[in-house]
Amino acid sequence: MKTNKQNLPDKNGFYGDFGGKFVPETLMYALEQLETTYTKLKDNNEFKEKFYSDLSEFVGRPSPLYFAERLTKHYGTGSIWLKREDLNHTGAHKINNTIGQILLAKYMGKKRIIAETGAGQHGVATAAVAARLGLECHIYMGSEDVERQSLNVYRIKLLGAHVHAVNSGSATLKDALNEALRDWVTNVDNTYYIIGSVTGPHPYPMIVRDFNSVVGEELISQSKELFSAMPDAIVACVGGGSNAMGAFYPFISMNETRLIGVEAGGEGVETGEHAAPLNDGIPGVLHGALSYLMQDEKGQVKETKSVSAGLDYPGVGPEHSWLKDSGRAEYVAVSDDEALRAFHEVSELEGIIPALETAHAFAYLDILMKEYDSSANIIVNLSGRGDKDINTVAEIDGIKL
Amino acid sequence: MNRLTETLANLKQQNKKALVAYLVAGDPDIETTIDLMHLFVEAGVDAIEIGVPFTDPIAEGPVIQRAHDRALKNNISLKDIYSMVEIFRNKDSSTPLILMGYLNTFMFHKKIIEENKNSAIDSILVVDIPGELNLNDYGIKSSSINTISLISPTTKQDRIESIAKNSSGFVYYVTLRGVTGASNLDSNEISNNVNEIKKHASVPTLAGFGIKSASDASLLSKHSDGIIIGSSIVQMIEQNSVTKEFDRIREYITEIKQAIS
Repeated sequence: MKTNKQNLPDKNGFYGDFGGKFVPETLMYALEQLETTYTKLKDNNEFKEKFYSDLSEFVGRPSPLYFAERLTKHYGTGSIWLKREDLNHTGAHKINNTIGQILLAKYMGKKRIIAETGAGQHGVATAAVAARLGLECHIYMGSEDVERQSLNVYRIKLLGAHVHAVNSGSATLKDALNEALRDWVTNVDNTYYIIGSVTGPHPYPMIVRDFNSVVGEELISQSKELFSAMPDAIVACVGGGSNAMGAFYPFISMNETRLIGVEAGGEGVETGEHAAPLNDGIPGVLHGALSYLMQDEKGQVKETKSVSAGLDYPGVGPEHSWLKDSGRAEYVAVSDDEALRAFHEVSELEGIIPALETAHAFAYLDILMKEYDSSANIIVNLSGRGDKDINTVAEIDGIKL
Repeated sequence: MNRLTETLANLKQQNKKALVAYLVAGDPDIETTIDLMHLFVEAGVDAIEIGVPFTDPIAEGPVIQRAHDRALKNNISLKDIYSMVEIFRNKDSSTPLILMGYLNTFMFHKKIIEENKNSAIDSILVVDIPGELNLNDYGIKSSSINTISLISPTTKQDRIESIAKNSSGFVYYVTLRGVTGASNLDSNEISNNVNEIKKHASVPTLAGFGIKSASDASLLSKHSDGIIIGSSIVQMIEQNSVTKEFDRIREYITEIKQAIS
């Protein structure tokens, strides 16, 4: 939870031109209350101790920075290192943020927890921390995602939470967020909304980033220890952008490290059928923040396309928009096919089945590794494990389980 | 003078309460929306709030969400809505018209809003911007339209003051914690908050969200300068969108109008 010298967002929640607080009036007070609470607690020693001890004892942090020997050989250039967020309890980076936010909820005396989820990882991570504190928990999930992530739906239910399938709009992550916001407007007095990415109105993008930046902080010390230098590049997939933001944030002022976000190219960015707003979007307002957004010529939000439920989102966290425009980070996209190929390749070469989201980051190594020689150290943020995606991949491969 | 400001001032002078009715532009189609707007006025509506369809209307309950979806199937844009209003104005040059929608759509059509041909639109209500701000703060400059700000039961006192002062046209008091069409009105809370708003606002205070029956209407009009009805009408539009027989809406508006007079 270190603050970076960039010192963003500003007091209104803006990262340059992006961010802000665009919500119905009923939520304004709740956001102010959250900001006040967070500002008070983030530097409080007792709170920090509790956060880090939960990360250690419940999540299993720190996660290893692992040398990917066969993948490195496969490309034959720089060393590839994997930040093993897939080894976290519940199987992805999402738990880092929920551990922090549930402490805020507890401190604020909220008895009811809500969250949205796409791939289901944030739903599982939220249900797990809510169960641990005995809090009522409701997870909103697009009905299309309920189908393609059925394993995670059952995990959420096993953890005692309620899953609400959302049928409106495109029935994916964006619509789950709409519905969670509507729930929050209605039950704002007793409910804490744990947003799962660096999206939404201020202060959420900041809070989620700060809790997740434990990943980047560990990377700094692990890089020193393992290869005595800062990495040449960090590669992470970007949907809303929480795993990337957590890895990137502590490195923002270290210009020697390239920060590369990989968006979901779906059928290919040129086809328009994708979920890559930083590559092919225009600034707009969705879910409380101004950021790059996939929208049509009438200002309506476009439906997205990605094989990965967790990246299937038309918006992106405002700080990523700022990092893009300021030139500090690069944002690229890979297609469904490329991600699927990487999914299989990493599984076979490294003995690790990555999440389909993460497979996007791996797929970009095909291009990136050509730019480096053997002295380079490249980190891939292995944001989650792929068990949840097995049904999807089997179906694509024509295999009946 | 702005039609909305004028109409509300006249009503106040006559000690009458304002009735504002809502529909979504293009639900079920533009022609029907124009017919319904005229029907509203004939039945006694003082001002019309036109919902601007958006893909992600986070403040709306299921009834109005479905109306947005129906309108979007017809590809309705803000440009189409201004053309629709032009047709409406051929027959009705006096009824105040308010656009209600989400910031993204308005930001995308700055020019049309700034132009506001023949001052056809009187006011804009943006659901998802903080009440202290208005369209000017987002680079949309128009002297012919005023901005209606929302105040809700969770708005704290210091903000009530600054929002009430910022609102032109009227202050929109959201009567409940929830989305449009919900039903959990708390009469005491409403009267306390509206009284607080009135201390600071130079414009009238109207109450909306959650008004279903004539008795809801009657109760809320006692505390406020008028009321806004939406979901119940949109539901009737939905139920009759095939036959386009809207007599029930006429009766309903008449009933509500009586309840608040």
